[in-house]
Amino acid sequence: MKALIIDDSRAMRSILRRIVTALDFETEEAGHGQEALDKLRDGELPDVCLVDWNMPVMDGYTFITEVRSNPDWRGMTLMMVTTESEQRQIVRALAAGAHEYVIKPFTPDAIAEKLEMLGLVGGAA
Amino acid sequence: MTATAIPAPTHDDVRGVVDEVWETLLGDAAPLMTRLVPARAPFDSAGVWSASVSVSGGWQGIVTVELTEYVAGALAATMLALPEGLEVVDADIADAVGELVNMVGGNVKSLMPGPSVLSLPSVAAGRAAFSSDASEVARVDVTWAEQPVRVCVHVVPAGAAR
Repeated sequence: MKALIIDDSRAMRSILRRIVTALDFETEEAGHGQEALDKLRDGELPDVCLVDWNMPVMDGYTFITEVRSNPDWRGMTLMMVTTESEQRQIVRALAAGAHEYVIKPFTPDAIAEKLEMLGLVGGAA
Repeated sequence: MTATAIPAPTHDDVRGVVDEVWETLLGDAAPLMTRLVPARAPFDSAGVWSASVSVSGGWQGIVTVELTEYVAGALAATMLALPEGLEVVDADIADAVGELVNMVGGNVKSLMPGPSVLSLPSVAAGRAAFSSDASEVARVDVTWAEQPVRVCVHVVPAGAAR
């Protein structure tokens, strides 16, 4: 399994990398949505993208709408990992095509549980 | 005509957010301890990192954090899982402190009326400056590893320029 971690904070990418690496994911990283789109166009598609909302250049919501507008990327799982916790925004992200939503701060178990629910870790994959 | 009070989080609201964020990022090995500081006393440390995020929309406010250089460095080293003894560079500290204020600010925003938008964080090696029309409504003074940490919430009158 491969995860693309998209967050403008290197420290947050480091935390997420350690969590998903422990779950046997290979990882790639991007500092904003546009960099992530460029990686998707250039390389092998990840199984899951962990996407922050508030980022410079291109935010996570725009990234999700861009990904969902490309039929070739339909199989990719999108999980928002963000401090954005207003109900209205959560609904908006899910309606745009995010599969799951995790609010910062989170525990490693919270990320693992969500990935398990999505069938990306454990026996369900 | 009566003035409408601007909604504001309580001290306990902010302390709850700070405790949760802190424990998630740094663990509970060295807990945050309440620190008694006189009202309006400046953050009393020479080496300071500070950061802020602003919230605009249904609620307008600014959330700031101030940390000593030691705490900011420990935060960055822990978040980045740097090997012990490795020097923590300013860029890493700025990144970690920015993410800290982003998390605290985002969770404070969720307690206030919306919809509103959270800004990207601003981080400074030194004390942060902010608009004089902002009024402090909650302040949490704590210590971590015997070092001071301060989190403040300011409200901004509707229509004030940011």
